[in-house]
Amino acid sequence: MLVIRRRAGQSILIGDEIEIEVVEVGPTRVKLGIHAPRGVTVLRKEIVLTREENRLAARSLSSGHDFADTVAEIVTEIRNSKGGAGGPISR
Amino acid sequence: MLELTTKYFGTVTYQEESVVLFPGGLPGFPDEKRFLLVEQALNKPIVFLQSLARFELCFLTLPVRGLQPDYELSIAAEDLRVLGLDEERQPAIGTEVACLAILSLSEDRPPTANLLSPVVINWKTRTAVQAVQIDSGYSHQHPLFAEEAVEACS
Repeated sequence: MLVIRRRAGQSILIGDEIEIEVVEVGPTRVKLGIHAPRGVTVLRKEIVLTREENRLAARSLSSGHDFADTVAEIVTEIRNSKGGAGGPISR
Repeated sequence: MLELTTKYFGTVTYQEESVVLFPGGLPGFPDEKRFLLVEQALNKPIVFLQSLARFELCFLTLPVRGLQPDYELSIAAEDLRVLGLDEERQPAIGTEVACLAILSLSEDRPPTANLLSPVVINWKTRTAVQAVQIDSGYSHQHPLFAEEAVEACS
């Protein structure tokens, strides 16, 4: 990974058509401005992670196994994890 | 009463008032806006999120507090606006909103829950959004079951 330090107002150029400008630097956040051509999608990483995870989640029931079996299995595991003084599932 | 044909529950009857509307769809499913929450005594505590438009699209979810009892929301003002909620504060889970984590079951890895981006449903308006938690440290692949601790030899 290339690591570059920038101050507010400074920019990074990626390829010929993408520019990332550090607009403002705050105590816990950075405000970035992004210039990119129309065809290039710019998304927060968490959205991409969520999108990919949703697509995986949508396939959870189509593994080829019977729906009732798949769900029963996970429900049993969940119920077995709970209980005792521990109560609900927690890390 | 309306009827919906689903792949996993057969024909389901419901009322229009039970439909949950995601104005922006969900990430990865931008056109899927109308869902039903399906709960079965047999499969508690799972809450199924069944698409009205695609009969085979059904998410498994769990209430976040069952996974993390101290889970609190920290979502963007924009998401609060979509939900029709006060943008100045986070809503109360349970009373004002339902908060569900979508589960991923796969042959390749242990089951996980998306605690980074919960589904938040405004009970009153039946509007919902899958909102990314800000600064939470929660994972989009939170293991459902604790791994067995491996003790080092002493």
